[in-house]
Amino acid sequence: MHTILQRLVMLQDLDCMISEVASKDGRKIQKKMGLTVKGEEKLQEAKEALEQSIPPAVLSKYHKLMKRFGRAVAPVVDSSCMGCYVMVPKRLTLRTVGNQEVRTCERCGRFLYWV
Amino acid sequence: MKQSELVHFFHNDLFIPALKASDRDGVLREMAACLEAKDKLYKTSLIYDLLKKREDLGSTGIGDGIAIPHCRSIAVRKLTVLCALKPGGVDFAAADSKPVQLFFLVVAPPHDINYLVFLGKLVELLTHKKIKKALFTLASFEDFITLISGGR
Repeated sequence: MHTILQRLVMLQDLDCMISEVASKDGRKIQKKMGLTVKGEEKLQEAKEALEQSIPPAVLSKYHKLMKRFGRAVAPVVDSSCMGCYVMVPKRLTLRTVGNQEVRTCERCGRFLYWV
Repeated sequence: MKQSELVHFFHNDLFIPALKASDRDGVLREMAACLEAKDKLYKTSLIYDLLKKREDLGSTGIGDGIAIPHCRSIAVRKLTVLCALKPGGVDFAAADSKPVQLFFLVVAPPHDINYLVFLGKLVELLTHKKIKKALFTLASFEDFITLISGGR
């Protein structure tokens, strides 16, 4: 798997965790489970550190996509981008091939990750 | 979601009867690696790091020897649940400081609408006195399914 793609996936998952920890529903379920969540700023620090390891041009695209769609990386399932449901090129059917490079969807522009 | 529907999220190939790891991070890695080995995940590292970060915010050990490590990640196709036992338990910084013997790893894609509902129902089930008592006497995955289906 391409290192930058892996970092983009991790960054989006981290963004997701940050919003969930801060959300009303997220807090409600943690309370129901009897769990306490402290030190959310640690997630923010980890996010900033991860961002430093991504080339500026790629990171800038990530932020633009997040702003536009809410998610910048789309999973590819059954040869389709799960962001816009368009088929990816046939040569990229295998995830071992797809995940070898940082690729974007030809239609919506999201980064693609073969699940 | 009814409590009886929880059973549909468990699969016998995602059951570890005896974890080998002897510390928190080792347990998280072993469970994530099992998901990769069963082709539920492309790379262990994608969720291992995330699970550790979640535990750093506060342990998911809910007490009485049970922990529910959980996270959302696009690394999985659908809501995935792995059940694992650690005979003797492992220190997981649980709420009651007791070693954790039973783990439920829950990972779901960001858009999954069942994730929070599933977690809530699972906690309800696990805090049921009779169920809790029986959980630690389980010999197999089939016993577990019978128990949560209400057949024991």
